[in-house]
Amino acid sequence: MSSADLLNQDFGSESEDDNFNPAPAGDSDNDAAGDSDDETNVTTKSNNAQQRRRSSGQRNNGEEDEDTKDNGAEDADGVGDEDEDEDEEEEDEDEEEAISGRPRKRVRRDPRNQFLDVEAEVDEEDEGDEEDEEGEAAGFIAETHPDDLVDLPEGATTDDRRHRELDRQRERAQQIDAEQQAQLLREKYGRRTANTADPVTVPKRLLLPSVDDPSIWGVKCKPGKEREIVFAITKRIEERAGTKNPMPIISALERGRTMLGYVYIEARKQADIHSALDGIMNVYPRSQVILIPIKEMPELLRVTKSEQLQPGGYVRIRRGKYAGDLAQIDDVETNGLEASLRVVPRLDYGQNEDVNAPMVDGGIKGDAKRKRQGAMGLTNAAVRPPPRLFSDVEAKKKHMKFPQQMSTFDKKHWQYLGENYINGFLVKDFKIQHLITENVNPSLEEVTRFSAGAENGAENLDLTALAATLKKSTANENYLPGDTVEVYEGEQQGVTGKAISVRGDIVTIGVTEGELRGQNIEVPIKGLRKRFKEGDHVKVIGGSRYRDEVGMVVSIKADQVTLLSDLSMQEITVFSKDLREASDSGVAGGLGRYDIHDLVQLDPATVGCVTKVDRESLRVLDQNGSVRSIMPSQISNKIEKRRNAVATDRNGSEIRTDDTVREIGGEQKQGVILHIYRSFLFLHNREQTDNSGISVVRATNVATVAAKGGRVAQGSSSGPDLNKMNPALMRNGANGNTPMAPPKSFGRDRALGQTVTIRKGPYKGLLGIVKDTTDSEARVELHTKSKTITVPKDTLGFKDPMTGQNIDYTRFSGSRGRGDGGRGGFSGNMGGATPGRVPDRPGGRTPLPMAGGRTPAWGAGAASARTSTWSANVSTARTPMWRQDASSANANGGGRTPAYMASNDGSRTVNPYADGSRTVNPYGGAPSGGARTPAWNPTATSSSYSHDPFVSSSSTTNTGGRTPADEPSYRTPAPSYPTPNATGPASNNRPYDAPTPGKDFTTAPTPAAQPSNGYPNVGNTPAAMGGAPTPKFSGDAPTPFGGQPETPGWGAVGEDTSPRYEEGTPSP
Amino acid sequence: MVCSIVQTHNRFLREGCPNCEGFLNLANSTEAVQECTSQVFEGLVTLADPSTSWVARWQRLEGCVGGVYAVKVVGTLPEEVRQAIEDAGAKYTPRDGTADDDEG
Repeated sequence: MSSADLLNQDFGSESEDDNFNPAPAGDSDNDAAGDSDDETNVTTKSNNAQQRRRSSGQRNNGEEDEDTKDNGAEDADGVGDEDEDEDEEEEDEDEEEAISGRPRKRVRRDPRNQFLDVEAEVDEEDEGDEEDEEGEAAGFIAETHPDDLVDLPEGATTDDRRHRELDRQRERAQQIDAEQQAQLLREKYGRRTANTADPVTVPKRLLLPSVDDPSIWGVKCKPGKEREIVFAITKRIEERAGTKNPMPIISALERGRTMLGYVYIEARKQADIHSALDGIMNVYPRSQVILIPIKEMPELLRVTKSEQLQPGGYVRIRRGKYAGDLAQIDDVETNGLEASLRVVPRLDYGQNEDVNAPMVDGGIKGDAKRKRQGAMGLTNAAVRPPPRLFSDVEAKKKHMKFPQQMSTFDKKHWQYLGENYINGFLVKDFKIQHLITENVNPSLEEVTRFSAGAENGAENLDLTALAATLKKSTANENYLPGDTVEVYEGEQQGVTGKAISVRGDIVTIGVTEGELRGQNIEVPIKGLRKRFKEGDHVKVIGGSRYRDEVGMVVSIKADQVTLLSDLSMQEITVFSKDLREASDSGVAGGLGRYDIHDLVQLDPATVGCVTKVDRESLRVLDQNGSVRSIMPSQISNKIEKRRNAVATDRNGSEIRTDDTVREIGGEQKQGVILHIYRSFLFLHNREQTDNSGISVVRATNVATVAAKGGRVAQGSSSGPDLNKMNPALMRNGANGNTPMAPPKSFGRDRALGQTVTIRKGPYKGLLGIVKDTTDSEARVELHTKSKTITVPKDTLGFKDPMTGQNIDYTRFSGSRGRGDGGRGGFSGNMGGATPGRVPDRPGGRTPLPMAGGRTPAWGAGAASARTSTWSANVSTARTPMWRQDASSANANGGGRTPAYMASNDGSRTVNPYADGSRTVNPYGGAPSGGARTPAWNPTATSSSYSHDPFVSSSSTTNTGGRTPADEPSYRTPAPSYPTPNATGPASNNRPYDAPTPGKDFTTAPTPAAQPSNGYPNVGNTPAAMGGAPTPKFSGDAPTPFGGQPETPGWGAVGEDTSPRYEEGTPSP
Repeated sequence: MVCSIVQTHNRFLREGCPNCEGFLNLANSTEAVQECTSQVFEGLVTLADPSTSWVARWQRLEGCVGGVYAVKVVGTLPEEVRQAIEDAGAKYTPRDGTADDDEG
């Protein structure tokens, strides 16, 4: 039966085709024929397949076919058969002819004859081979030959028909291309060894659908029911197979998830679909039926290769206790359903046993976020222990019996509570459908856990597997135009270029190297990776815990880039896809709270200016000039920029932020003041490169180069406006340019308890008692109603205790002196100021004592001033205070001036002394006037103010004399003065050094004024004690007083004077 | 596994694969069935007329019997089975990343 001829014949005869053909009639015939031929069904099938292929090849060669026909025609016996055969070959689907012809053919053939013929043919074939010199044919024959020989013994007559047939076959063989022939041979060969039912491989492109093929229609159906439908159709096909109306459709298919909601029917006519699907559940052929274009048919059946899990790869677990955890694939079952995974176990070793609580199994939806949380134990930590490697020691603590060591040779294999732990990992089988295999994105720390599993701590991290896993996820693969990329896969492998544009998964790159230079090519993203060179400054953009780290590339190995972090100076290894070229701008964001140039408090004694902000640290230049790197946590707080901070430079000039200063000596640093901190200045100089241009200098070492707004340019002796710095002055809220507020009285407000009338407002005219006061308001308890109201003090009318006259508050509180001695009573309260007044009154002296040290002072002043006794002193005495005053002093008429310590003014002031002496009187009458002038003068205010006191207290007495009016003001300073006095005594002579004192005290805000006064006082005191005082009072004082001081006092004089003061003020 | 026909496990066991029985010898061999079939597949095709169907041709099911086939079968044939198929002169076409199989 194994005769090769038989085989050959089979090829030639179309009868086998019938087996393939679905036509029932043909099938039955065929079977019959086949049986008669002693051919097995299997053989038939394979033959059919071959023939079909061959026929398709022949189609192309119509002429040859015809030739073949001709050949066949020569042989009378074979003619009919051959014709039929060829027809079938030419038209596969033309079955009718074949069907009709077959019976004849079969009938004619005698099985036995066939065998015999074959043998005969073999001989001929041999000849033919020689003639043709066709290797393939020769092989063919050679193979068959032995068979033939074997067959020979059976004995048979040679038939012409067979010869013909053989010729025909040979020709056909020539037509077949080499490939087909090879297949043919193999098939023959295979037939000998085993039976084959398989179709031979044909390139898919030859299988592309043509117009001759049935069409495919898509029919809507109920999503999820596709399979059911297909099975239903199958069932119906089987049911109707033998009936009169078989299913008209050719096939039906569904594509499950890919094309949800559709089944596809292959049929010749659309109408067939309706009849076939009629009555099948869940499919809706009546609705729209879509004809699938021929071109798309292959797409429909395209099978995308599903991800194959490779041992060593990483996946995530979708549910269960380890939901979201990364797992390494240990092994994959061959059936592809399960995989054995290595997981870092989450064991509590029975510590929460009673909490047999529900496991966390809300799926993780494929993102790594949750995973991370879980890994950090943030989610339900009680229920879900943190992942830790298995420890037999811990396991034994609670479950002595449970841990069982499994094998002797591997100490690390334990079984515990039914699970296997190998090398600390849980090894467990999971169903693959419960695994997340795509976009796993393992982070390095997770992966490290697996790698660290080795006892010796050696890094056995399988980076290849990791890379493979990572490669699968293109999710966060992001390229930006400008990135340098390299193609590492596909035809353009090795090409490098710069990304020009990115569209979806396609990156257009401009090639920068090689033959393609200058061209733009488009590359799918998955074949790309970023390319860096050693020495590149890169930033880690994601995917690992090194995110945002900036560093320099030190080595590159394929996908892995090692870089030296700028910050930590550590080497870190990341994937190139996680890197991006760092822009020079450095790290964006970061610490947020601190910015460059901020002044920060490092410890109670140290401040620093931020010169650099890194990701996790700051660089700070502290006040001592040292630069340090600190963590934000080391900063106790940030010092807000104080706009009005003031310091003095070495020349005593006032400097503020934003002024430009230069260091004298040292490094001659120059810069704009950023911050003033005590005596340290933080300068910023754009031209300086180190420390971001920031340097620190001492205020006393710098000279002003330019002050903001030209503030400095006032006069040669520009110095700080000490008055503005004088806290005592500031306290009044006095501002250099505004009129001085009424002098403040300290201590108990004299208005308290007074019976007053209200002179304005709704309560006008009512009488009441002042119960309480503030600076500007008073609470008055009305006599009429028992009600306490709040009214401005200046709307109150006071009853002058002496005269019963109505006076306003200012006068009441401040200038009661004006009233006269009687009022002086009040003055008593006023303390220091009083002296002025005191003199007037008989008891005037008395007050002096009260004033204390001062009294003498002024007394002295007066005395000295006038008295020549002084004289010696005079110059000096004053001088100190006023400096050059002596002369000028005399010159100046104004007692007002006294206030001004300033030389010029002072000088004037001095005069006052002179006057004062006369003025003394003023005490009596003019207090208000004179006093005011100096003390009150608006401008004088601060400056004069401070000075005045001195004046008053010291020799100033004169002024004081006048000043009494000012008392209030005096008061203020008064308290402080005493001190100087106190000190003064020690250095009696000092006053004479007038200039000095001023200097000495410069540091102190008020100093200038104070000291000078103080000294004078002291100096004077004695003098005064001696003779001066008395004369003063008795003598001159009155006269001038009454005259001058008063007048000027409040009104005009005040104003006149003010300008002077102004001048004077700055000068010091 | 080879032709991707979809049948129940029992039927494989009882009757083998209608197309591939010649070399797979599935019938009555649990082991063979286990090895050569897969439960993971996608897409179903029911063939009423395998000879005319383009789908059948595309799926290389031309010579197979009518019935239900899978479009995609996940699984890998053991090497020896593959060898057996080759020896049988059949061409083994992976049905999806890997193997053809017939079973369900």
